[in-house]
Amino acid sequence: MKHVLLGAAAAMMLSTANFAYADTIKLEPGKETNMVLLPKFLGILVFDQANEGAQEAHKELANPGKLEFTGPTPENSTAGQIEIMTTAGTQKQGAVMLSNNAGDQIVPAAEAAQAAGTKVVTWDSPIPNGKGESVFVAQVDFGSIGTVMADMAMDILGGKGKMAVLSATPDASNQNAWIDSMKKALAADPKYAGIELVDVVYGDDQAEVSYNRALALVDKYPDLGLIMSPTTVGIQASAKAMQDEGLCDKVKVSGLGLPSEMLSYTMNGCAPQFALWDFRDLGYLTYFTAYGLATGQLKGEIGETFAAGRMGDFTIEADPGREGAKRILMGPFTVYNKDNVEAAAK
Amino acid sequence: MSLLSRLSPAALRILALLAVLAIVVIFFASQIEGYLNGRLFNRISSSVAIMALIATGQTLVILTRNIDLSVGSMVGFTAFATGSIITNHPELNPLLLLLYSALVGTAFGTVNGLLVAYARVPSIIVTLATMALYRSFLVEYSDAKSITTNSLPAWLTDFPNMPVFSIGAMEFRAGFTASLVVVIIVHLCLTQLRPARTLFAVGSNPEAADMAGIDAKRVVLAAFALSGLMAGLAGFMFLARFGTITVVAGLGFELKSVASAVVGGVNIFGGSGSVIGAFLGAILVDLLETSLVRWAVVSEFWREAVLGALILLAVATDTILSRRLTKLRAKKSKEAAK
Repeated sequence: MKHVLLGAAAAMMLSTANFAYADTIKLEPGKETNMVLLPKFLGILVFDQANEGAQEAHKELANPGKLEFTGPTPENSTAGQIEIMTTAGTQKQGAVMLSNNAGDQIVPAAEAAQAAGTKVVTWDSPIPNGKGESVFVAQVDFGSIGTVMADMAMDILGGKGKMAVLSATPDASNQNAWIDSMKKALAADPKYAGIELVDVVYGDDQAEVSYNRALALVDKYPDLGLIMSPTTVGIQASAKAMQDEGLCDKVKVSGLGLPSEMLSYTMNGCAPQFALWDFRDLGYLTYFTAYGLATGQLKGEIGETFAAGRMGDFTIEADPGREGAKRILMGPFTVYNKDNVEAAAK
Repeated sequence: MSLLSRLSPAALRILALLAVLAIVVIFFASQIEGYLNGRLFNRISSSVAIMALIATGQTLVILTRNIDLSVGSMVGFTAFATGSIITNHPELNPLLLLLYSALVGTAFGTVNGLLVAYARVPSIIVTLATMALYRSFLVEYSDAKSITTNSLPAWLTDFPNMPVFSIGAMEFRAGFTASLVVVIIVHLCLTQLRPARTLFAVGSNPEAADMAGIDAKRVVLAAFALSGLMAGLAGFMFLARFGTITVVAGLGFELKSVASAVVGGVNIFGGSGSVIGAFLGAILVDLLETSLVRWAVVSEFWREAVLGALILLAVATDTILSRRLTKLRAKKSKEAAK
C-alpha cells in the first residue's frame, strides 16, 4: 500500500513536472500521411543532406505513407516549384516541405494547397510575406546570422576595412534577409564603425557568374579587404577566384560555406573563417514539424511545444523577421576556421 | 585601288566589330577609374576562353540555318562527367581525359544532329528538348554530389591560368591561348577546306546545295556533332577553371553563345558569318558584362536590361558600319572602273 501511494505521488510529481513545461507534445508515430520534400532545385549537396535528415525522421516516426524528395531542375526553379506545389494540393498530400525559391509568387499555389488540406511547412528559405505557409523551420535566427557575419568580418579585417557582399540571386529571400540583418548589425554597434560595406552583387548561385563577379569587385574597389558571401556556391567561387589570381593576401573571403568545399581555402588562408549549420538536422526537424501538422497532432499555433526526436524540444513562435508569420528556430551554427574545418570536412 | 575595295565583306564586318569594341573600351575607360590596364585584358581573356569555344560551335550550327540550345547542358554534363572520372582515377593521362570530354560532347551533339537532320524535327524544338534532357541526365548522374576543386589534380586546375607568354602586363594564359588556337583552326578549315564550305552552301540555299550534289543531312549532322565537340572541350575548360561543378554548371550558355554569334555578325538565317566574328562577339558581350558590373551608374537590377540594350546597340552599330563600308567600297570600285 505504501508503495502504491509512493508510486502515485511520484506519478503526480512527474505529471506536474510535465505541466511546468507547458505540455510538450510527443508526436505519436505510425500515422499515415504522404509528404513531399521540395528543395529549391535538385542536385545541390545541402538539399540532399536535408533529404537524408528527413528520411531518417520518416523511418523513426514509422510513417507508412510516402516521403517523396522531388524538385524542379535548376533552370526551371520558380515555375517548377509552383507546379509541384499545385500538384501536391490536387494529390491531397499531407504536407509539402518547401525551401522557397519563388518569392511571393508561390503564394497562390501554396494557399490553394492549404485549402485542399495540404500543410505547407517552409525550411531554409521562407515565403517572404508568410501567406500560404503554416510555419517556417528556421535554420538559425536570421538576425543572428547578420551578427555572426559582422563578427567574422570584424575578425578578418582586424576591425577596419572595406567589405563587399556576393549573394545568390537578387530575389532569394533568405540571403536578402541575412544581408539586411548584417547591415543592421553593422549599423547598430559602434564597434563595427571601421567596416565599410561598399557593394552587394549577385552571382546567381552559379560558379562561373560568381567567380567573375568576385573578380569584378576586386577591380571595382582596389582597396577591398573582404568578400562576404552568404551562399555555399558564391563563397567557394570567390575563394577560387582570389586564389587563381594570387589575391589571397589582399582580399579574404568569408560567409556561409560547406567545410568539405572550403577546406583547402581555409587552410591556405584565402577564407580564414566561415559558418554554416547542419542541413541533416534541418531536414530532420522539418519532417517532425510537417508530420505533426499533417497528422493533426500539432495545430501550428504560437506557443505549441513538441519533441523532435534526437534534437529535443522546439516551440512555435512568432517570426521576428516577418510580421504575422510563425517560425520554429533550430540553431545554432558553427563557425569554422583552420582548427576545426578538417574534422568537419570528413 | 584603295584598301577598302580589296577587303571582302567578311573582313569589313570584322573591322566594324573591332571599331565597336574600341568604342566600348574607350567609353568605359572614360567612366571607370583604372579601367584600361593589363588586368582588364587578363580578366576578359581568361573568362572568354570558354564562351569562345561554345560560340564557335554555335556558329557552325547557325551557318546551316539551325540553332543549338542544348550547348549549356552539354557543357555542364561534360564538365561534371570529366570531373567525376578524374576524381575516381587521378592518375589518368591528361590527353585521355581531354579525349573523353570531346567524346561525351560529340555524342550528345550527334544525337541532336540525327534528330534534326534525319527525323526532320526543327532544331529549335529538338535542342530545347535536349537542353532539358541533358540537364536532367546531369541531375540524375550527379546524384546531388558536386565535383570539388580539392579532388582534382593540380595539373588540371593550374592549366587555364598558366601564362604562355605576355606582352607587358597582358598575359596570354594557357586556357585562352588554347581556345584561340581552336578558333583559328576552325576558321582556317571554314575558309580553306572544300568540305567545310558545304556548311555555307547548305545554309544559304539548301535546294541549290542539294542540286550541287551536297548531302545536306550529313552536313547538318556534322554541324551539330561539331557543336557538341566544342561544348565538350568547353566543358573540360569549365572544369579546369572553376573546379567546383554542380548541376547548374553552364546554365544560360545557350543564349550567351547565340548572342555572341549574332553580335559577331553571323547571320541568324544561315549562310554567312565567321567564327572570328563570333569570337569577337563573345569578347564584346563579356566586356560589356564585366564593365557594367564595375560601372557604378547601373544598379544590379538594371544590369541585364542595359546589357540587352547594349547588345542591340552593338549589333545595330556593327550592321550600319559594315553596310556603310560596303557601300563606300562599291562606290570606290565604280569610280575606279570609270
